[in-house]
Amino acid sequence: MPKDVPHVSDISIAMLTDDPYPCFDRVRDRASAVWVDSARLNLVTRFDDIMEIERNHHIFASTNPQSLMNTVMGHSLMRKDDEAHQIERKAIEPSFRPGVVKQHFAPIFSVIVDELLDGIAAKGQADLFDAFAAPMASHALIELLGLDGVGWQDLARWSQALMDGVGNYGADPDIANRAKDASDAVDRVIDKALPRHLKSKNPTILSSMAHAPTLHGINQIRANVKVIIGGGLNEPRDAILTSLHGLLSHPDQLAAVRADPSLHSAVFEEAVRWVSPIGMYPRRVTCDTTLGETPLKEGDQLGICVGAANRDPSRFTRPNDFDIHRPRQQHLAFGAGPHFCAGTWVARQMVGEIAVPRLLRRLKGLRLDSQKTVQVRGWVFRGPTSLPVLWDA
Amino acid sequence: MVKLTFVQADGTEHQVDATLGLSVMQVALSQGVPGISAECNGSAACATCHVYFDASVFDLLPAVQTHEDDMLDFAASDRNPGSRLSCQVQVTEAIAGTRIQLPDLQ
Repeated sequence: MPKDVPHVSDISIAMLTDDPYPCFDRVRDRASAVWVDSARLNLVTRFDDIMEIERNHHIFASTNPQSLMNTVMGHSLMRKDDEAHQIERKAIEPSFRPGVVKQHFAPIFSVIVDELLDGIAAKGQADLFDAFAAPMASHALIELLGLDGVGWQDLARWSQALMDGVGNYGADPDIANRAKDASDAVDRVIDKALPRHLKSKNPTILSSMAHAPTLHGINQIRANVKVIIGGGLNEPRDAILTSLHGLLSHPDQLAAVRADPSLHSAVFEEAVRWVSPIGMYPRRVTCDTTLGETPLKEGDQLGICVGAANRDPSRFTRPNDFDIHRPRQQHLAFGAGPHFCAGTWVARQMVGEIAVPRLLRRLKGLRLDSQKTVQVRGWVFRGPTSLPVLWDA
Repeated sequence: MVKLTFVQADGTEHQVDATLGLSVMQVALSQGVPGISAECNGSAACATCHVYFDASVFDLLPAVQTHEDDMLDFAASDRNPGSRLSCQVQVTEAIAGTRIQLPDLQ
């Protein structure tokens, strides 16, 4: 006999932001979907349930008339299903293919990383959030998109303003205005760059959109560029910082990867499993159904907690431990199903093969600065907000 | 409905009834055949539904498109001339009775 969706009223947003994992454990133990008052969502935390959801996107849709994302960014592919989604997804695929990334973008990423390291190598100390990971991810995204004359701080600011706007459930007018300004600024830089890409086809995302097999209107291009700015900057930044945080707080594993650089791909996969940069994303229930033993109604809003599924003890032994020597197995850091992260192979190469290995090679004796604290924040998006380190300069 | 046989890396075989029009990946998943992860569930984005077809059957399949071709180079197990992403191959009468080899790793 199915039971109703349980309600939880004593999990606050502050608790989730500070450390979501104990909250996720409680929800996961309770039921397949649990209404959490503060989040105003039914949270789904079990690995197998999320796989079930992603294999049935007609019952668990991405399209959502109530989506703030549509208001802030326009109607992007992330909030479309079926053919409407596939047309726009296919359009950007050429820029995200692993071979294209390796041949065209990887050399560019290497130059960005080396220039940033040149700038800090003599200092012997830094907070790697501002000094390395954020500029790395932003410069890389400018190149991937094919934008001209944009500073890394501008793109980082726009990305944050857009993401704040998407999460502005309290309808704060200042947040809404900042998001609108960022959105307008992005439109202007698209308008500036687009003629060049229309004229000559190249591997960048703007070019792929401009030459899409199914012609894109300007509003489709604008909305999808904004989603990529929102989703393509913080995530690689956070994956870089989490990889380094994991290694620097486990010296035996750091030594292992220094001795055997082929372990770097395992470092990347374990980092995004351990602290998934995107911890939660929404889905909408399209008809009355049952998930596990929990009945759901048409219109129910779900929060798909991949950050919780990636620590599901039924799938991962000692799930809270960072362990690069785990047996290789599927995780959900990139989601699953039709909306599987388009940037997966970019991230694997940018973070796992270029940024982290080059930084470890260059900064000898890299270690956490024991006089300062590492801060890790967030649950919808999660990663270190500061990573103070020392090295032998 | 046609018969397909999936052969695991260790030689274990699973013979299944495959519905025409489904992808080979969908058939394997729906029939509980191990060895295919299909993390992106058919979006040709993850390269974890890699399979090997015999040369004789490979030529009967629709051609490999650019995107799949690129993705296959990055599959966890080595690509060979029979490699395909099984999400991109539909079940047709032409492949009735085929044996499909699964790789060691996805």
